[in-house]
Amino acid sequence: MPVFEMDGKPVEFEPGEKVLSAAMRAGIKIPHYCYHPGMSVVATCRMCMVDVIDMGNGRPAPKLQTSCSMDAVEGMKVETKNEKVQEARELVMEYLLINHPLDCPICDQSGECVLQDYSFEYGSGKSEMEYSKRVYGWRDIGTFVALERNRCIQCTRCDRFTREITGTNEFGMFNRGHELTVDTYSDRPMINQFQGNMADICPVGALTEKEFRFKRRAWKLKKTPSICVGCSTGCNVTIEYDRNEVFRLKPRDNPEVNKWWMCDLGRLTYKTLNQRQNRLGNPLGKTGDGLQEISWEEAFNAISGKIKELQPSSTEVLGLVDTHASNEELYLFKKLLKQGFGSDLLCFPEPDWEQPVSDFFIDSLITSDKTPNRAGARLLGLKGEKSVDAVLPKLTSGVKVLLVLGQPFDVESLQVQAASIPLVVNISAWNSGWTQTADVSLPGRLHAEKEVTYTNKAGRVQRVQTAIRAHHKTRPDWMILCGLMEMLDVENQVDSTESIFLEMADAEQGFKELQWEELSSDGLNVPQTLQDPGRTEVSELSKTA
Amino acid sequence: MFSEEGQKELERLLSRYPFKRNALLPILHLAQKENEGWLSEASIKFVAEVCEVSETHVEGVISFYTMYKLKKPGKYHLQICTCVPCCLVGGEELLEHTESKLGIHAGSTSDDGRFSIEEMECIGACSYAPAVIVNEDYHEKVSPQSMDQLLTDCK
Amino acid sequence: MIEETLVLFKNIRNPDYDKSLKGYKKSGGFKALKKALKMKPEELVELVKSSGLRGRGGAGFPTGLKWSFMAKNTGKPSYLICNADESEPGTCKDRELMLKDPHQFLEGMMIGCYAINCRHGYIYVRGEYFPSIKSLNAAIDELYADGVLGENAFGKGKGLDLTVHTGAGAYICGEESALLDSLEGKRGHPRVKPPFPAVAGFNACPTTVNNVETLTCLPFIVNEGPEAFAGFGPPNNAGTHLVSLSGHVNQPGVYEVRMDVTLKDIIYELGGGIRNGKKLKGVIPGGSSSPVLTAEEIDVEYNFDALSKAGTMMGSAALMVFDEDTDVIKLLHRITRFYNHESCGQCTPCREGTHWARLIVQDFLKGNGNERKMKRLQRVGGNMMGTTVCALGDAAAMPITSFVKKFPLEFEKYYTQAAA
Repeated sequence: MPVFEMDGKPVEFEPGEKVLSAAMRAGIKIPHYCYHPGMSVVATCRMCMVDVIDMGNGRPAPKLQTSCSMDAVEGMKVETKNEKVQEARELVMEYLLINHPLDCPICDQSGECVLQDYSFEYGSGKSEMEYSKRVYGWRDIGTFVALERNRCIQCTRCDRFTREITGTNEFGMFNRGHELTVDTYSDRPMINQFQGNMADICPVGALTEKEFRFKRRAWKLKKTPSICVGCSTGCNVTIEYDRNEVFRLKPRDNPEVNKWWMCDLGRLTYKTLNQRQNRLGNPLGKTGDGLQEISWEEAFNAISGKIKELQPSSTEVLGLVDTHASNEELYLFKKLLKQGFGSDLLCFPEPDWEQPVSDFFIDSLITSDKTPNRAGARLLGLKGEKSVDAVLPKLTSGVKVLLVLGQPFDVESLQVQAASIPLVVNISAWNSGWTQTADVSLPGRLHAEKEVTYTNKAGRVQRVQTAIRAHHKTRPDWMILCGLMEMLDVENQVDSTESIFLEMADAEQGFKELQWEELSSDGLNVPQTLQDPGRTEVSELSKTA
Repeated sequence: MFSEEGQKELERLLSRYPFKRNALLPILHLAQKENEGWLSEASIKFVAEVCEVSETHVEGVISFYTMYKLKKPGKYHLQICTCVPCCLVGGEELLEHTESKLGIHAGSTSDDGRFSIEEMECIGACSYAPAVIVNEDYHEKVSPQSMDQLLTDCK
Repeated sequence: MIEETLVLFKNIRNPDYDKSLKGYKKSGGFKALKKALKMKPEELVELVKSSGLRGRGGAGFPTGLKWSFMAKNTGKPSYLICNADESEPGTCKDRELMLKDPHQFLEGMMIGCYAINCRHGYIYVRGEYFPSIKSLNAAIDELYADGVLGENAFGKGKGLDLTVHTGAGAYICGEESALLDSLEGKRGHPRVKPPFPAVAGFNACPTTVNNVETLTCLPFIVNEGPEAFAGFGPPNNAGTHLVSLSGHVNQPGVYEVRMDVTLKDIIYELGGGIRNGKKLKGVIPGGSSSPVLTAEEIDVEYNFDALSKAGTMMGSAALMVFDEDTDVIKLLHRITRFYNHESCGQCTPCREGTHWARLIVQDFLKGNGNERKMKRLQRVGGNMMGTTVCALGDAAAMPITSFVKKFPLEFEKYYTQAAA
């Protein structure tokens, strides 16, 4: 690859790449506000100016150049630390701060604000502005983001976002000169489904997420990489939490999945991670007096006792699972049924789903399939059923043992029928209709509380890590399944996510050749192309989907 | 939305550019003319549809340029230049004189709707300063006295 | 006695001139176009290069060289856009050409379109120029009616269309790339360069932007030859040029002069000297963006190179003269107010700097001046130089720094009487 020199060090670049982009990839920090790799270059903040002492032809550039707009050239020599550049950064900071309000004590961006950071690193630390700052009126612009125009530094990222990324054009630049401001048109509210991204890309606190407003200081938040399980897109996110409470999800950039974005509905899934009331916190057993909290030992004993009593044949054991379960859990569930009971009777809900296709990449993040692992279930060759009606006959065909992982087909009509099945076991993190039906309920964990993998709609296997602590009486679902297999004397060597994954990659055609070590937080694609007859491409989701 | 003549001009303008949106500025002038000198929300919606751009874009363009008005101007819109060359030969005094004569400040319209005043940056009549544009007509080498006469002539 | 040298103003200075197409043809018009059409476009470009014609809009860039930058064989149409935005304070010369001899300008425009293979040329006229717009549209209608414009303008099947595009009140749209954005129907924000307009300009097609006066020089160059044009001044400063003289002179007006006439000559001979018997205090030689000159510095030839050497610039040749009674700080305030109003606002130094500088000068006018503030003004204003997307930052910086340098005592008049 061609090379140019920055501060005496060689930097590789792709032909046609800008100096700033190449420098950032090489880990060199050049301050900037208006540049964003996903949007067009405007070079208006002037913060990224560098000194080009050799343009690649032996001559220096006549004045400082903005590195975000300058094409890298072989043999170019660039300096970013000399006095000229320092002076330029100082003066840009001075200009930006003359009209910027001193809102830091009440501004959410504080602690993750580049204006603060650069002011500290490159600013002069004093202000000579003696006159009044310009102020704008305030207006509520919509459901997801709050706009504080006084704080705006006119980087125009938000304007480019609704024009180039979402194509919804409801946000724009108005007026001219020092009154230049951003706003929605004529008091109209924001309409796009990706507003949270605007708060992410705003370098200051002009656009902030309403959900997060005033809740916690950014520097208190711990961050763990994960994925969003709100739908089958599997956007890469960071779970940000403090004292075991999740405050928000922010997208992580992954060029293969979601680039830099995520949708607002996905952001709101952080709330489910905090819900405690509806969680199963303890194993439950059904007695004459209703559901009672029991110990894990008692739970397993009850299950094994009942199975010995029933002696079910291979056609008398049925498994139901939903596609919120991870790859490891689906695989172990299948293994449990096959090797524990010799049963092939396993199905999951597989309704038709819609995938919007549009000129704008970001629209593809939305999908009507709101479960994270449908592709995983299909790759493992599990049987899918489009509707509840197809499952009903299975329950009435002499089934003696029903194992329910998650909340598949969570409807009363099925559960009423299932009540007559001698043994019903439910493994789930949530209290649902199945919990009421089950003889024994075993409490599982949410994705943020365990380490597992999911396969998204494009066949990408992505790994999540434990972020928050679950209730100590719960166990990861895969561990519960291992416990059940042990109880049934099934030969089972695996006892960790990694070992399960390796066994699955070895045994299953769908996951062949995937290496655990390569499965970093970026994910890996499965070797085959996914076929899914239930998928329809649409221009926008139908109202019923 | 436009008069017959205006519609013809609209079609002519749209045909002169490779893309409809390129004709936005002249079409906004036309819409303004068709609406007594200002642009209403309906005008903006119409222009946005005709030029195939978003209303946000049209509003952004309107707020950038000084000639597009969102409020109805007076029957005689007095555009008085006070920029450097006019300022040297009494442009600012001419503006003050006109403001006090009509009892309104630059940026407003008289109560009877007859006059509105706008303070202008250089209007390109520097060698013939002080200069004033009344609606679309240039008046040059204007003194306070000739301004008084001008105001009387504007019925 | 210095007199005008009439090349572009030949017809305009004739009181009996009929500016219709018939009248223009009678005075020898459209001979140059016929001659140009017999040449190949590349030959025409070389001809203009050798004439030494430099842009008359303000930058003084060699026109032939600019034309030669046009990207070729791109599969996209090429465009010639005429910049008739004339908004630089002090400048009122292009309107003379458009109002009083539109066909001479249009012939020049047609020659330019032929030279760069343009099929549809646009004339971007500032919105306030109602009389010029009417004049140009009427003249263009005549040309279409006469078949000079249209399907066969350059010969059988080789047509040319011209369209007058109206601006809407923004000085920044006189900047080449902002003009292109405005022509495309957007806000007039200058673009980052590269890519340059010659590669990707109007709707991402190869484009050249030329000033009205520049194009109006072309008929003479084609008719009389490049040497004749170059002979009107010193080397590298070819042709005559139109000076817009304004301010405290007895005879303000637009004059056409050779490039070796001095500032002093223009003010005292053509302009009739300072009015009311006053003494000269200073001169802004090339539009409000140019550094100011004191009364002692006016013995300099009025051309690109001489003025550049004297630490100022010719710019749009707008010569503003002010006398001994002028309050220089009030003048500077008006200038800073202008740039504050006209800044497009996209880049940080200009957006904040023009505003802050204006506030500081205003503070002086209120009687709160002191040396510290003067130094601050110089710093705030000067820092806009070379750090902005377009030249408006430089244009706003130069008057501020030059006024502080040349008229420091004027500032002291406004120093606060109380202790600083």
